Amino acid sequence: MKRYIDFYLTAMKMAVLEQWQYPVANYFYMIGMIAEPVIYMVVWSAVATQQGGSVGGYTPGAFAAYYIVWTLVRSMNVVFTPYGWEWRIRQGQLSMSLMRPIHPLHNDVAFFAGWKVVVIILWLPLALALSLFFKPDLHPTLLEGMVFFFAIWFAYLIRTMTLSMLGMVTFWTTRVSALFELYFAAELILSGRLVPLSLMPEWVQKVAWFFPFRWAFGYPIEVLVGNMPANELFIGLGIQLAWILFGVLVVNMIWKVAIRRFSAVGG
Amino acid sequence: MTGIRLAFNYLRIGIMNEFQYRANLYIQILQTFIALATGLIGLNLVFSQTTDLGGWSKAELLAVMGVFTIMGGVIRAAIQPNMERLMEEIREGTLDYALTKPADSQLLVSVREFRLWQIVDVVTGIVVLIVALTQLNWLVDFWSVFGFFSALAMGAVMIYCFWLIVTSTAFWFVRVHEIADLFVGLYAAGRWPVDIYPNWLRYGLTFLVPVAFAVTIPAQALTGRLSLQIWLGALALTIFFLIFARSIWRTGLKNYSGASS
Amino acid sequence: MPSVISISKLAKHYQVPEREAGLKAAAKGLFKRTYKTVKAVDGISFDIQPGEVVGFLGPNGAGKTTTLKMLSGLLHPTSGELSVLGYEPAKRNHDYLRQITLVMGNRNQLSWDLPALDSFDLQRAIYGIPTDEFKRTRDEFIELLDLKELVQKPVRNLSLGERMKMEIVGALLHKPKILFLDEPTLGLDVTMQKRIRSFVAEYNKRYGATVLLTSHYMADVEALCKRVIVIHHGQLLFDGDLAALVQKFSAFKTVGFDIDNPNQDFSQYGDVVSIDGLHVVLRVPKDKTSAVTTRLLSDLAVDDLTVEATPIEDVIESVFSVKKEAME
Repeated sequence: MKRYIDFYLTAMKMAVLEQWQYPVANYFYMIGMIAEPVIYMVVWSAVATQQGGSVGGYTPGAFAAYYIVWTLVRSMNVVFTPYGWEWRIRQGQLSMSLMRPIHPLHNDVAFFAGWKVVVIILWLPLALALSLFFKPDLHPTLLEGMVFFFAIWFAYLIRTMTLSMLGMVTFWTTRVSALFELYFAAELILSGRLVPLSLMPEWVQKVAWFFPFRWAFGYPIEVLVGNMPANELFIGLGIQLAWILFGVLVVNMIWKVAIRRFSAVGG
Repeated sequence: MTGIRLAFNYLRIGIMNEFQYRANLYIQILQTFIALATGLIGLNLVFSQTTDLGGWSKAELLAVMGVFTIMGGVIRAAIQPNMERLMEEIREGTLDYALTKPADSQLLVSVREFRLWQIVDVVTGIVVLIVALTQLNWLVDFWSVFGFFSALAMGAVMIYCFWLIVTSTAFWFVRVHEIADLFVGLYAAGRWPVDIYPNWLRYGLTFLVPVAFAVTIPAQALTGRLSLQIWLGALALTIFFLIFARSIWRTGLKNYSGASS
Repeated sequence: MPSVISISKLAKHYQVPEREAGLKAAAKGLFKRTYKTVKAVDGISFDIQPGEVVGFLGPNGAGKTTTLKMLSGLLHPTSGELSVLGYEPAKRNHDYLRQITLVMGNRNQLSWDLPALDSFDLQRAIYGIPTDEFKRTRDEFIELLDLKELVQKPVRNLSLGERMKMEIVGALLHKPKILFLDEPTLGLDVTMQKRIRSFVAEYNKRYGATVLLTSHYMADVEALCKRVIVIHHGQLLFDGDLAALVQKFSAFKTVGFDIDNPNQDFSQYGDVVSIDGLHVVLRVPKDKTSAVTTRLLSDLAVDDLTVEATPIEDVIESVFSVKKEAME
C-alpha cells in the first residue's frame, strides 16, 4: 500500500514538473476550450433577457456562474482518450508498460492527476478574467466549496473509468470511431455540458440518472453554483463514489479479458 | 491561365485520392449526422423556452444553422487541409518543393488539398437551409439570392485570408497550430447570429476572426436583413483581407527563402 | 544447477485471414473466411544457466522477437513449456516482473521533458526499491557510464547514444536477474556501442545476471556472447559456441591480392567478391584454398596475397539462407 502512495506521489510530481514547462501550450488549449461555454452562456443569457430576466430559474448571472465553473470541471475531466488507447496499443507503448510490476492504469491516473494540479493553478487567472467580463452570480458557502473540491476529483476518476472502458474496445477492433463519436454526443446531451440539466425536458432528466455522465460534469458544477441542501451534497458525493467503484470493477473485468486477447494476438 | 488549370488538376487528384478511402465517407456521414442532431437539439431547447432570440425566429435560426453547416463543409474541404499542410511544411522546412514549381506559390499552397467527403456537410447544410426557407415562406427575389451567394463567396474568401494570415505567421512563430485550433473553436460561435453576442465579442467575431461574414451575413441576406451598406462593407473588408493576406504571405516567403540553410 | 530459463517445444502460431485479390475472392470472403496458420515460432527448446550471456541470432521475421516476448510474458505461447526463474512468464506475476527487464532499442521509457534523474526516481517508486539501495545502484551505474553531468539535462537535449545509455541505466536500476535486450545498440555509433557492450558485460560480471541479447551487429555478439542460438523460420538452427558456429557453417575462405591487370577472368580460381582498383578479393571453398593460392602464385604476378577466414557476417548470412524446406 505504501508503495502505491509513493508511486502516485512520485508520478504526480513528475507530471507537474513536465507540464509546468508548457504553460503556453496549456493556456492555448484552455482558451480554445472556453469558446464552447462562452457561446452557450451568451445564447442562454440572451434567452433569459428575452424572457424577462430568467429562464428555468437561471438569470444571466447564474448562467455566467454555471458556465465559468464549467470550464474548471471540463478541464478536470479531460482524460486519456479512447483514440489514445488505440494509438498506445499500436505504437507498442502498452507492451513496455506491461513489463512493469504495476497496473498500467495507475500510471494513467497518477500522471493525469499531476497534470490537473497544474491545470487548476493555470485556470485561476482565466476564471478571474471571465468573471470580469461576464459577471457571474456566484456565492458558494464553505461547505459547498469543500464538497466541490472532492466532487471535481471524483468527476476526474469517474471519467477516467468510463473512457478507459471505451478505450479498451480497441483491443478487439480498431474501427470504432463511430462508437466513440456517438458516446461523446450522448455525453454532451446528458451530462449538463450543453445546458444545465434542469433546463432539459423531464424525460431527458430521468434518462440522465441512469448514466454516469452528469456525475462527472453537471453535478460538480451544481454543487458550487446551485443551492443544494447539505444532505443532497453528501448524497451526490456518495453516488459519485458508487460510480467510481462500479467503474473500477468493470474496468478490471474488461482488462483481464483484454490482456488475455492482447497476449494471444500480440502488440 | 495555368493557375486555374493547376487548381483543377489538384482537385481531380484530390477527389481520386478520396475515393480510395470510402470508409471516410461513412465516418463523415455519421459525424455530420451527430453534429446536425446536436445542433437541432440545442435549437429546440432554446426555443422551448422562448419564441425569439435577438430578433431571430426559430426558422431563421435554422437557416443560420444551414449556412453554418455549408460554410463549415467548405472550410474543412478546401481551406483547412491546405493551411494545415502549409503549416507542417513551413515547420519541417519542406515548403521548398512547392516554391520551385512554375506557378504562383500562394495559389499552389492553397489548392493542393481537397477533402471530398466534407461535401456531405455542404449537402446537409443545403437541405437544412431549404427546409428553413420553406418554413419562412421565402420570397425568391434577386437581392436575397444575389446577396446570399455573393456574401457566401466573400465570407469564404475572408475565412481563407484569415487562415492564410495565421498560417503565414508560422514563418516567424512556432505555436501556430494551436492558434489554428483556437479558430476552429471560435468558428463554433457562428452557429448563432453574431447580433446576440455582447458588443466586444461581436466586433472580435466580425473584424478579427471573420466568423460573422462567413455565416451571419449570408443568413441575413436570406432573411431580408441585408442592407446595401453592410454588403458594401463586406466587399471592402474582403478586398482588404485579400491584399493584407497576400502581403503577409509575400513577406513571410521572403523571410523563409532568405533564411534557407 | 537448475536452469534459469527453460523452454521445451515452444510454439507460437497465428491464425491469419487469407486475403486474395479480386472481386470474386472478396465476395467469397464475405461468406467464408479462410485462415492460414503462420508459425512464428515452431517448436524450439533450450536451457539457459544463470549468468550466461546468450546471443540470439536470426534474420527479421525469424521468430527471435516473438520468443523474447514470450519469455517476458507479453505473448502467450500456443503450445510447449516455458519457465523462467521458476515462473510462467505469461502469468505476469509481479514478483516475476520485478526480476526481469526488457530493453527494446527504439522504445523509450524515460520522460522526454525531464532530466533522467527524475525518471530514475519513478523507476524506484514503481519497483519499490529501498531508497539507500537505489541511490547506491544508481550512482554506481552513473559512474560506470560516466553520466554525471548528463543525468541533469532534460532527456530531449541528449543525443541518441546518450539517451540509450540512460534507458539502459533506467532499465537496470532494480537489479533484475534476467536481461532481455532486443537490439540495444541499434542506430548508435561505434564508440557508443562499445560503451554499452562493456556496461552490460560489467553488469553481468558484478551481479551474475543472465543476459539474452538479440542484435544485428555481429560485434555485439562477438564481444559479449560465448553462446549463440540461431533461429530461422521459427526453428532452432544452432545452439552452441560462436566459434563452433563459424566452424560448422563457414565453407569458404577469402583470398585477397594485388595485381597489375585486374580485368581478367578469375573464375577458375574462385568467385569474385570485389575488385577495388588493383586489389582483388575472391571467395574460395575452404578445402581448395591451398590449391588455389599455389596456382595464383605460379600463374599470375600477384602481390600481397592474404588468406582470411570468412567474416562472421557472411557466415551468418549463409546460415540464414538455409531454405525452409532444407530444415524439415
